[in-house]
Amino acid sequence: MAAGFKTVEPLEYYRRFLKENCRPDGRELGEFRTTTVNIGSISTADGSALVKLGNTTVICGVKAEFAAPSTDAPDKGYVVPNVDLPPLCSSRFRSGPPGEEAQVASQFIADVIENSQIIQKEDLCISPGKLVWVLYCDLICLDYDGNILDACTFALLAALKNVQLPEVTINEETALAEVNLKKKSYLNIRTHPVATSFAVFDDTLLIVDPTGEEEHLATGTLTIVMDEEGKLCCLHKPGMFPPLQS
Amino acid sequence: MAGLELLSDQGYRVDGRRAGELRKIQARMGVFAQADGSAYIEQGNTKALAVVYGPHEIRGSRARALPDRALVNCQYSSATFSTGERKRRPHGDRKSCEMGLQLRQTFEAAILTQLHPRSQIDIYVQVLQADGGTYAACVNAATLAVLDAGIPMRDFVCACSAGFVDGTALADLSHVEEAAGGPQLALALLPASGQIALLEMDARLHEDHLERVLEAAAQAARDVHTLLDRVVRQHRAELRGGHRLVLGAGFPAADPAHLHVGERHGLHHGGGAVCGRRPCPGFCPGLRRPPQEVGGSASGLA
Repeated sequence: MAAGFKTVEPLEYYRRFLKENCRPDGRELGEFRTTTVNIGSISTADGSALVKLGNTTVICGVKAEFAAPSTDAPDKGYVVPNVDLPPLCSSRFRSGPPGEEAQVASQFIADVIENSQIIQKEDLCISPGKLVWVLYCDLICLDYDGNILDACTFALLAALKNVQLPEVTINEETALAEVNLKKKSYLNIRTHPVATSFAVFDDTLLIVDPTGEEEHLATGTLTIVMDEEGKLCCLHKPGMFPPLQS
Repeated sequence: MAGLELLSDQGYRVDGRRAGELRKIQARMGVFAQADGSAYIEQGNTKALAVVYGPHEIRGSRARALPDRALVNCQYSSATFSTGERKRRPHGDRKSCEMGLQLRQTFEAAILTQLHPRSQIDIYVQVLQADGGTYAACVNAATLAVLDAGIPMRDFVCACSAGFVDGTALADLSHVEEAAGGPQLALALLPASGQIALLEMDARLHEDHLERVLEAAAQAARDVHTLLDRVVRQHRAELRGGHRLVLGAGFPAADPAHLHVGERHGLHHGGGAVCGRRPCPGFCPGLRRPPQEVGGSASGLA
């Protein structure tokens, strides 16, 4: 009976729960789903983390490579994030080039890295003007059940904390880089940005950590990224109808 | 490769295994909520997961629909961080397409496609860490995922790789052994009938040795079958144990002919109102684990 009503009138079904200040999976409006994190399981990656936010599962693998720095920033390394939403995570995604949602998420993560200064790019410099580290952070969503941005941010942070870079010295005579795999050190993570996503219902109600269904029924979503000092790193509010009153 | 002995005089391989010994296999079914069927497998350090959607309506052009059977669509993707050197293209390159095609051919032979005409079954395989034997791990994971989705199959499809060094056939090659450049054979077997779903070999091997290598691979595949069978029965025991779920009819007794397992876990999580219990203790293995797991041989999925 409830399942039938849910199929025919999903929004009404939801409103019944929201009136009682709870949600169909039993959570309060301000409650997060159970979060688990597993760090360092992929040994071929330099750093890895798997995050499960309820059913939403995201894995992040970080690979470090050498690169030549750009001429206008000779002492800065690179951090290149990429979010992949493959068809295996949900039936709404097709195979082929990255869709809109994946590209938006990739750009969001790039903005978070840039704005929150998780890593000082100068820390990735080996030899100014000649050699720097580039960290490729690849995030793959394995199970899509809403709130992908929170999960990605968390996975990225956990993976970066797990990254160990070997010591590199430039040989004076040959000008070649010598990598000492025995001496590895962790990255210097300066801030710990945490993303929180909200879904807006009926222009008045704000619920935290929306699932896939809730995102679909909501009038809009809002993501805020803050670090531990209370500084705002990023605010992502992609459109909404009607516009929110300030 | 000078200096690296693939097989020592006492008969031990690089990682300490014997010639016919498999790597440690750990597998888990029903790991994801969105998919109809899913499975995760670790064969040594090779970690692969498979996800099945279907049978459902044909996506894209209706003209592709087959009037008498289901269309099986397989896609193989390996993560950029799965290999020692970062992979530029996770999917869409030639190797991934070839693997996808091989998986499709393997599963078209095993799935009873006549039972679902004009529909499509999607099998997506993702390799998280590649340490040799990726095809075999993918096939084994996909078998478990198809069973988890409740799609009827003729039999398990068990796969293993084999090689040949110093007159001895080696089973279940690791990356080091594959990279050494010797002959490699990949075999996918339907164990009950002994039928071969796929056999692939590249590099030169004298025909006199083929028999031995094939036998080593077949024996290894049968060992894999014993393991996968145990995983399926364990999963079924878990399903029966704690939850009010409708299990598919024709539940496996000792009948290899039709293997129907599992129910859509999606109902259990996304809807929530079905069980009303939170957090759901039985299914998502991730929830059963303590909140922080550092290192370990398994990732949070297993």
